[in-house]
Amino acid sequence: MKRMVYQRIVSCIVTGFIWIGVITFLLLPKKTFSEQENKELEQFPKISKEAILDGSFIEGLEDYLCDHFPLRNSFLNIKTQFEKFLGKQEVNEVYLAKDGYWIEKYKEPVNNEKVVRVFNSFADSLETAECYVMLVPTAITVYQDKLPDFVDGGRQEENRKYLMGQLTAHTIDVGGILEEYAAEYPLFYQLDHHWTGYGAYLAYRVFGERMGLTVREMEEYRISEVTDEFKGTIYSKVSDFLAEGDKITLFELPDQKLKVTYVDTGEVTDSLYNLDYLEKKDKYSLFLNNIHPLVEIENNEAQSQEELVIIKDSYANCFVPFLTEYYQKIYVVDTRYYRLPVSQLINENPKVKNVLILYNMNTIDTDLGVGGIY
Amino acid sequence: MVFSSIPFLFFFLPLFFLLYYLVPFRVKNYILLIFSLVFYAWGEPIYIFLMVLSSVIDYSIGRLMDYYDRVPWKRVCLLCASIFANLSILGFFKYADFFIETINSIANLSIPALNLPLPIGISFFTFQTMSYSIDLYRREVKVEKNFFTFMTYVSMFPQLIAGPIVRFSTVNQELHYRNIGFKGFYRGSFRFLQGLIKKVLLANQMGALWNTIQGQPYGEISVVTAWFGAIAFTLQLYFDFSAYSDMAIGMGEMMGFHYLENFDYPLFAKSVTEFWRRWHISLSTWFRDYVYIPLGGNRKGIGRQICNIAIVWFLTGMWHGASWNYILWGVYYGVLLILEKFIWGKALKKLPRILQHVYTFFIVVVGFTVFVFEDLGKLGQYAKQMIGMAGNHLAGTEFLYHFRNYGVLFLSCMVLAMPVYPWVMKRIVRLKQNWIGGMIKGGFVLGYVVLFVLVVAFLVSDTYNPFLYFRF
Repeated sequence: MKRMVYQRIVSCIVTGFIWIGVITFLLLPKKTFSEQENKELEQFPKISKEAILDGSFIEGLEDYLCDHFPLRNSFLNIKTQFEKFLGKQEVNEVYLAKDGYWIEKYKEPVNNEKVVRVFNSFADSLETAECYVMLVPTAITVYQDKLPDFVDGGRQEENRKYLMGQLTAHTIDVGGILEEYAAEYPLFYQLDHHWTGYGAYLAYRVFGERMGLTVREMEEYRISEVTDEFKGTIYSKVSDFLAEGDKITLFELPDQKLKVTYVDTGEVTDSLYNLDYLEKKDKYSLFLNNIHPLVEIENNEAQSQEELVIIKDSYANCFVPFLTEYYQKIYVVDTRYYRLPVSQLINENPKVKNVLILYNMNTIDTDLGVGGIY
Repeated sequence: MVFSSIPFLFFFLPLFFLLYYLVPFRVKNYILLIFSLVFYAWGEPIYIFLMVLSSVIDYSIGRLMDYYDRVPWKRVCLLCASIFANLSILGFFKYADFFIETINSIANLSIPALNLPLPIGISFFTFQTMSYSIDLYRREVKVEKNFFTFMTYVSMFPQLIAGPIVRFSTVNQELHYRNIGFKGFYRGSFRFLQGLIKKVLLANQMGALWNTIQGQPYGEISVVTAWFGAIAFTLQLYFDFSAYSDMAIGMGEMMGFHYLENFDYPLFAKSVTEFWRRWHISLSTWFRDYVYIPLGGNRKGIGRQICNIAIVWFLTGMWHGASWNYILWGVYYGVLLILEKFIWGKALKKLPRILQHVYTFFIVVVGFTVFVFEDLGKLGQYAKQMIGMAGNHLAGTEFLYHFRNYGVLFLSCMVLAMPVYPWVMKRIVRLKQNWIGGMIKGGFVLGYVVLFVLVVAFLVSDTYNPFLYFRF
């Protein structure tokens, strides 16, 4: 009979928890967007005969309940802490790496052929400009030594070399310099999938030397830390409350006079940064004001009359600031949203002598913008 | 709907029990029936009619059998009709495509497949209703005159989709009168919680491990990893299946029903024969009572007995799914049971106990490796990796990585697959009423609460949470 007492206590506590869960769920206001996870939360599914019969109503209802569960973020964190406690080396496809880094896995590429085909036919279609391609290795390659023991992170680098060998355009290899300085500077964020200003600076050195520009030393920039609480996309995946935020560092040349035009919204500013994003979770968006199909950056005091077109993913957003002093005008194109042929923009504009395609290796395989390069 | 999900735990279950406890006794069965139908319709809105049809058939047959109580030939006909109807439903929805495929490949035809989705739980409810008709024919149970009560029996949601197979004789009386009180609620909910923890924190995690390992390209995993994976799957299946039974038995008890136990530490068995006395007990006793013994069991000579064992195990294999690997798996056990019975059973008993456990565990792991691959080509590949014929290494660092990720849980599962928990519990209960005893008991309570919070955390974050029985 004594056994019953403990069962009774456990049973009462758990029943109480469940009812508290039910009641708070019903009472709590429902959010539509989760900053923490950076995703739209599921809305209450529409009721219709079809939706009920094919099961999509029920599926939607289940997602709705999970997404709006009370203290959802805390539960996600509890799960991560428990998995760490069990000695797990990965959470949600992200490696728990050393020195506070969380490093995303590299998925076996399936679109290599498409990437090569698109890049090569694009390079061929350029009449007056030269095409350069920079494939940026990510943390899984550069910080391979920080990966958990027994994890082989070499696949991305293997594939980067393969892709570079297949391309007809000029390739710019920044792998060497990133690895050289990997221990010296934080080249990648610990909780976000992007590279830092330091990583972008090193890549700029390689690019600049290749293009015959006079490259600046790091000390020549005004370097400022604008936040140390950046918890980016990787943090959204792992929800580790114990993780400390990243610093975001800006590299600026103080007396540059720029005119930055966001063509889609028509907004014109004089800054490459939108510091309003520091108040939000996704702070990396401060570079070039997040996502725009086309951004035009003009500098009338530039070192040359030349213009540059950059076709890119978000890695370029913190890389572009290093180039503004050299080109009178830079077109930054996001082909996920830019609906016209980029080759037309280039071929109709004789001032554009060079085109840079910049992608990071971890998402190039699935990047929707690749299909938009023509 | 699965038990281990947020909608079930935080909406269906509390709402059901609130109503169930509030309404007067004579309405309770109706509440149970309505919720069971909603539960079933949750995943299968259309097939609910199939379950109702099956209930109508067996209910009517039961009434007729009762009406023609003194006409033996009519009773035989009615029994045959029931068996025919149930096996037809099962055969059509579960095995039609399998037969078509087999005929196509033998006779080189191309009859198009029906591609019917399998109604969830069909193998469970058809076996339940058949047991009713057969028991009625044998005069072992009384006829059920209230259709809704009968329908309640067939559709009762705790055991509807993943067993145990509850026979009518087990719950006959409790369908009409049962004790419902705090005691049953406490005991039942505690049992349910145990099942939930087993499913979410152990079975799902072993499943994730197995998924990672079997997803590796052919030839890339070492022999050790291949075995690690196979054992992980064995643990997953055991903890998953027995967790469902725990949850079913627990919820039954909360409602005042007493189902029979379905698992009794099968992985700890000392022989294959014993394994099957401890694994999915409701299924093996079903086949024993309704197939093996009626065929003559062991009373008609050795030849006949071997034949009967072969039939039963062929059917057991087939019951688990419409695919050759399940039949192979059934036959594998049939052969091993025959060998154990007639050749090495006695010698086995003389071995040291630990070797008997290892022998059984080995056979079970190999068996479940056959069980898990519906594609025999993939089974062949995996088997080659297990014996090092895939050009793979004996051991590699990738094993260390898997072990580091899942080692703690894996070892916990291995320990909990042995009857360690009841042994510890017995000692905790007997502890003296001093502060040490109090601390340990308090820790025990706290432990369960923490585990429950972890369960919710895993469910909310939508981690790997498979439902394994959609093939049954």
